[in-house]
Formats: sequence, structure tokens, C-alpha cells
Amino acid sequence: MDATVTLRRVGNSSVIPGLAILLLVAMLFSLTIGAVSIPVSEVGIILLKNLGLFKGVAIDSTHELVITTIRFPRIVMTMLIGAMLGVSGAALQGVFRNPLVEPGLIGVSGGAAAAVVVVVVFGASISLAGWTYELLIPFAAFAGGLGATFLVLKLSEQAGRTNIAVLILIGVAVNALTGALIGLSIFYADENQLRTFTFWTLGDLGGASWQKLAVAAPLILLSITVLLFFSRALNVMALGEAEAYYIGVDVERTKMLVIFFSALGVGVSVSLAGMIGFIGLVIPHLVRVLFHPDNRLVLPASVLGGALLLVLADVLARTIARPSELPIGVVTALIGAPFFVMLLLNAKSKREI
Amino acid sequence: MYEANDLSLRIGSKVILDDVSIKLHPGKFTAVVGPNGAGKSSLLKIIAGEQTPSQGAVKVNGKNLRTYRSTELSMLRAVLPQQQVVQFAFSVEQVIHLGRHVHRSRRSHDERIVAEVMRLTDVYKFRHRSYPTLSGGEKQRVQLARVLAQVWDDAVHPRYVLMDEPTASLDIAQQQHIFALARQVCGRNIGVMAIVHDLNQAARFADELYFIGDGRLVASGSAREVFTRAVIQKTFRCNVNVYHDPCSGCPFIIPETFPSVNNQSILKPVIQ
Repeated sequence: MDATVTLRRVGNSSVIPGLAILLLVAMLFSLTIGAVSIPVSEVGIILLKNLGLFKGVAIDSTHELVITTIRFPRIVMTMLIGAMLGVSGAALQGVFRNPLVEPGLIGVSGGAAAAVVVVVVFGASISLAGWTYELLIPFAAFAGGLGATFLVLKLSEQAGRTNIAVLILIGVAVNALTGALIGLSIFYADENQLRTFTFWTLGDLGGASWQKLAVAAPLILLSITVLLFFSRALNVMALGEAEAYYIGVDVERTKMLVIFFSALGVGVSVSLAGMIGFIGLVIPHLVRVLFHPDNRLVLPASVLGGALLLVLADVLARTIARPSELPIGVVTALIGAPFFVMLLLNAKSKREI
Repeated sequence: MYEANDLSLRIGSKVILDDVSIKLHPGKFTAVVGPNGAGKSSLLKIIAGEQTPSQGAVKVNGKNLRTYRSTELSMLRAVLPQQQVVQFAFSVEQVIHLGRHVHRSRRSHDERIVAEVMRLTDVYKFRHRSYPTLSGGEKQRVQLARVLAQVWDDAVHPRYVLMDEPTASLDIAQQQHIFALARQVCGRNIGVMAIVHDLNQAARFADELYFIGDGRLVASGSAREVFTRAVIQKTFRCNVNVYHDPCSGCPFIIPETFPSVNNQSILKPVIQ
């Protein structure tokens, strides 16, 4: 007992830098993989060159184009989405004081996906111009995510408080409803639209572009930053809502802002790459079980850990069935589920849940 | 001084509290006693600022409770609630550090205060243990330490600790420990209020007693003044005999024998 505690205490200060280094390594490795394989040294030079260094070095212009227009936007998007899912999972678990909560469960992902699918299928029939359509999708995702979340919250309110047991059940119901909406849209979809549904329901990181990121990245970064500010308050909320109030935390404000920015960030993520499950649930748990449950560590570590897991999952998705690509959601669940069960069993035997 | 005047609380048509006034003095231990469902916990919630009364007002150090921001209030009063669930496996030390949240003071200062209250509540030796693995008594002491950490700074203004049955489900030695601590805490210009179930403990440790029955204040004063057969009968609808400890002179009660009806139903099985 004491030994593991000391190990955790010693390890804490190096968790964040360690994860950052791992993420950087995974990112570089991921950039080398693809239809053309580009050596890591060349990847490094291309990145540095685009930062304004190594101007004189001659490099293959095709390779440079592949990195800067395809792989780099993709990896940036992957990291942003992974980070967003990880941190919102950690923050939502903190605010609801329930380790089962994740963005998917309270309706964010399903609501966002359903709204996007509705826009895709029925938006075409009211013949929206190209750019309004592109712009409408992130907004629809956000509105759908937030709408579904507030529906879940409102319905699970009891005497001014959120009843967690009811919340989880309502979450299941709302998810069934958003699933049905997606299904209904499929029924009315044409052949071409049909193909995009795998995208929305199982996720796809293939559609990255700098244009999309220009709108999405600031919103995701803002959401992540705001959520990180609540680390301390979320620690206090672990004692209970009344207790947090007694200690001096503005409970309602904390709850509302955490939910709002989770819905914003995750909604935008869904608009970029569809529903990617499991990261929001598994990453915060991993951090808690491996290190400790202090949210001042759990939240930033979930940012890095979420990005890391999604980058690795993306590498697998692109390599396992080469030249075609597995849906990313399939891979995150395939890696995440057994690992998660193992961690839970381990924590259960130590009575740490 | 903590002062609640003419508090009433109605939820729907149900009267929870009816015109109750209570004063807490820094340096004094006030015990609130009464039967289950008498409105004691509601009274504590109103005093703590968590619940708004239908009528009446609460003043803390001369200022209306409603005019405080929740952070300001948290520097003046800490609350030890009944339940002791902590989600996620925080260590004992981490839980106690949460009590320092509102102060935003230097880390070294927080650590000194946390170490001090951990020694006082006798939890220092298991400060690295995970909270969910503790026994009920240990958890209670950790929560008490957390609450004390919140109001432990050397301050000129009086501070208050409100406790909802701090000794529920503890053995007699643990109860003595908690009550002795509460008295010791009073010495730091802190006023303590506790809802107490054990009447004898309340009489033994409290400077002032408030008897609440059916949402009304039945009597208040020192144990010598109000710890009487008549007051207890009126509050609890239970007949007791009051005796006095020959050493301290402190009153204590022993309930009267069972009413004969009960005796019969217990002793004579119904044979058909």
C-alpha cells in the first residue's frame, strides 16, 4: 500500500512532461505512415522548414505536399479531438461525481451527430449553397449537442438537483432517440449520403483540412482551456454539491459552464469527425488509476492522454487494413474496451472505485 | 455572533419550522436536540445558507447572511454534513486540503494548517491512505479535519462550525473524542453548533441546548436550566427520569420502563 502511494507521489511531477513527449513521438511516427512512407528525419525537416527553419534544404516536393496538406492537418485535428474528448470526459465525471458519465452518455455526441445528419440529408433538399452548408454543420453539431444535453439535464432534475440515476436512464433514452433520428435520416438518404453515415456513427478522421480547422480549432482550444480552469473546483465537487457550496464553490455556475463548454467542444469535434466513443470514458479513468484522482492532474493529463490514444488509434486504423481504412471508432473501442475492463478489475480489487 | 431570528420554513402546506430563533456565540458549543423529523437538519441548512427560509433572517457577525458571497461566507463558517461519500479515491490528505479551497493562501501555509488539524483529529498517521478504504469513524474524523482546516486560520473575526450529527454510528470512545475536540475548537474564537442525538452527551458537552420538537423551539438554555423531565417529555414525547452525576453535577437521563402495552405484546405471543 505505502509503496504504491510513494510511487504515485514521486511519479506525479513527470506525468505531464512524460505524456507530452510520448504524444510528440506518436505524432512524428504517425506522420511517417501512409500511402507513401516518409522517413521521420524528412518529416522533421519538413515541419521545421514550415516553421521558417532549414530554408535551404532540398526536399521532395510531393512529400512536402503530402505532409502539409494531408497528414499534418489530419494529425492536428486528431490531437484536438482526442484532447477534447478526454478532458470533457474528465470534467463531466467530476461535475456529476459519477465515473460512468462521458460526453456520449449525456447526449452530447448523439445530439450533435443527429443534428448534423438531419442537416446533411434534409439540408440538401432545401438546396443550401456550398459555404452556408459547410458553416451550418459545426453550428448544427453544437446546437444538437447542447440541446440534447440540456434535455437530459432538465428531465433528470429533481427538486432543483440533478438525480444521477435518473440522468443515466434519461441519457440512454435520449441516445436511443438520437439514434432513431439518425436511422430515420438514413431511410430518406440517397446512395451518396448513405456512405457518410459510417462517418457520423463510427467516426472518420480522413476529412481534415486547414479550412475546417480554422473554424473548429479555436472553438475546441477555447473549450479545453475553460474546462482546465475548473480543475480545482471539480476536486471540491467530489465531496458533494452541498459540501462544495459550504466550501465556497459556485456549484451551479461550475456545472453550467462545464456542461456548456463540453457540449461546444465535443459538438464541434463531432462535426469534424463524427462520433468517436470511449476516449472520454476511458482516459480519465486511466489517469486516476495509474496516478491519482486530483483533477489538477486528471484534466491536463486527459488532454494529453486523449490526444495520444486517438493518434495511436488512428495509426492502427490506417495500417491494419491497408490500403483501406478502418473506422476510427471501431479501433478506439477495440483497444479501449479490454484495457478498461482490466483497469476496473484491478481497481476493484484495491477498493479504489 | 451567528443569529437566526424567527425562522419559518414551509414546503407546500407542510410546516417544517415554525418561528425558531437561535444564537451561536464564538467560543461556545451549542447542541440542538430533538426527535427525528423535528426540523433540526432543515434548521442547520438554513443557518448554513444552503436553504432559504420562508420567513425570518440569519445574521452572521452582524451582517445578513444573504449579503455575503458564497466565498466570503465559506471563510466564516464550515459545515460537517451527515453523509461522508467522496467520489474517486482521494487520499486523506487531499480530502483535508479541499477545505482550504476558498482561501487561496500559500501552499506552505495550507500545509501547516492541514498538518495541524490532522494531528488534532488523530488522522495524521493514515494521511496517505485512500479515503474510501477508511472505517466509518476514521472517515468522520477526516471530514472533521477538513471542516476545521476551512476555519483554522488565526483570524480576529469569529468563525463557526456547524455539524449535523457528528457522532452518528460512532462508538462511545470515538464520540468522546469528537465532542472533546469540538470543545477544544471553541477556544479559537470559533462557535460550534452540533445536532446531537445522544441527550446525555449533549448535556455533558454543550454550553447551550436547544430543544426542537415538531418544528418549534421547546426550550433553550444551559443543561442545568432546561435538561428537565418536563422539557424532554414535551420535545420527545417520551418519559424519562433525570439524575445527576455525583462527580460533575451534570444531569443525565434514563428512560422510564416500557409502557405495559408493549410488554404484553412482546412477552405474550398471540396464539390463535
